[in-house]
Amino acid sequence: MKFIKDHIMFILPLVAILLGIEFFLVFDRMTASYEQRLREGYSMLVVSNEPISLQELQSINKNIGQSIKIERDEILKEISLGQKQEDIKEILNVLPNFYTIKLAKYLDTSSLDELQKDLMANKKIKRVETFGNSYSSNYKLFSFIKFILKVFIVFMSVVSLFLVIKQMEVWGYVHKERMQVMEIFGAPIMLRSGVLFKVAIADALIATSIIVSLFLYFRYQIAEISGVDVLMNNSQLLFQPNDAVTLLLCAIIIVVISVYMVVFSSREKEA
Amino acid sequence: MANVIKATDLTLAYNRGKNEIIKNANFSVKKGEFVFITGPSGSGKSTLLKSFYGHLKPAGGSLMVGGLDLTEVSTSKLQELRTHIGIVFQDYKLINEWTVAKNVVLPLMIAGYSLDVQHTQAQRLLRHVKLTEYANKHPFELSGGEQQRVGIARALAKNPMLILADEPTGNLDEYSSNVIWDLMENACGQLETTVVVVTHRIPTIFSLPYRHFIIENKGVYEVH
Ligand SMILES: Nc1ncnc2c1ncn2[C@@H]1O[C@H](COP(=O)(O)OP(=O)(O)OP(=O)(O)O)[C@@H](O)[C@H]1O
Ligand SMILES: [Mg+2]
Repeated sequence: MKFIKDHIMFILPLVAILLGIEFFLVFDRMTASYEQRLREGYSMLVVSNEPISLQELQSINKNIGQSIKIERDEILKEISLGQKQEDIKEILNVLPNFYTIKLAKYLDTSSLDELQKDLMANKKIKRVETFGNSYSSNYKLFSFIKFILKVFIVFMSVVSLFLVIKQMEVWGYVHKERMQVMEIFGAPIMLRSGVLFKVAIADALIATSIIVSLFLYFRYQIAEISGVDVLMNNSQLLFQPNDAVTLLLCAIIIVVISVYMVVFSSREKEA
Repeated sequence: MANVIKATDLTLAYNRGKNEIIKNANFSVKKGEFVFITGPSGSGKSTLLKSFYGHLKPAGGSLMVGGLDLTEVSTSKLQELRTHIGIVFQDYKLINEWTVAKNVVLPLMIAGYSLDVQHTQAQRLLRHVKLTEYANKHPFELSGGEQQRVGIARALAKNPMLILADEPTGNLDEYSSNVIWDLMENACGQLETTVVVVTHRIPTIFSLPYRHFIIENKGVYEVH
């Protein structure tokens, strides 16, 4: 009974920390995918006098990811119906080049304005038009939520870390007698702390599996069969195999640091 | 014969030198010798033993144990030295979450002996201290005298070069005490183990030659 209590007191805060980390990973992925959608839904039309290559555009502003030339023949066809061949050539000469610009990464409003200004400053470019208007207001809310979540996760992790250390102190008290006797008989530090390490690593594994199972459950048993479009389409954001590795590593690092804190605090002090 | 312990102007103190217990003591113990240390309660007998296994650093003078200068010894050297010392504590210092058998073979475990060897040795050692029945019990289930005997078995486990015993018969009746003295005499007489014993009463029947130090007024003197 006491054994179980000791372990729960250690596993719970560890689970809380891992939960925070996993939430962060999930939210990070959600943000990334949302940003991608915003980016893809946004486009900019550039009208230039002369042909202009992607390299040229990127040298004007590095945030440009892609440029799609709108074929002039199509436009020409529309306006040249019934015109003579020479006239068509004439039209072609004065007809500007059109490019649709895609962004390389998500940009905030001021960077977009800057991008637009940079493009306008170029001699070749006559006009810049943008499409996609809900960009800025949605994103501000999003960034705000992201910030709040980060603060919350950091706060939760700090509190949980204190609980982990507290529980480790309790363990330290329990194991102190043994570790000191072993030290007096010349046991090296690894042998002295071996049991503590074994127990703590086992707890780290348990805590990691709890979180992994929880998110696997969310993904496969809730999101994917929920019937809600947005959940079903994005269920892969909820858990990815790499997360398990990240979580286990974090748990083990926390545990190893805590164990060393106990081991060093229980070293024999000169009386 | 070589000195196993050599103290030169040895000063021992607690609280960073404020509380002096032993002052400018000079003595030495040779390999294979049997030494008794007596003295009034609180005179510093346990303190002196503590300094022999490096638990208390000398506040002054020098102290050599097993060829190591304990005034400036590295952690790893001290660790190595300790694996050659068997200590019997006044307060036993057994590990309560372990069985008696496991406690007894702690020095063998530290030395990396296999579980098989540990098991056989545990039985042999417990037979010596007449505690065979108690192998799978835990120390807190034993009487003071029984715990004392477990502590002695543990100290003898690895045939150490030096045995330091603090009141090893303090909690024992005459019969059990004699068993213990026999074990110590054997270790010293047959294995050339150096033995330093702190005690209030030097046994009346003792077959080996021994030396007797007394601690008085912070000094360590040999009694002739
Ligand atoms: N850890 C310590 N910190 C400070 N003072 C201590 C410590 N241990 C012992 N002392 C003091 O050192 C003195 C000697 O103590 P020590 O335990 O060596 O006595 P002793 O001769 O073994 O006595 P006893 O026969 O009662 O066991 C005592 O006055 C004691 O109060
Ligand atoms: Mg004492």
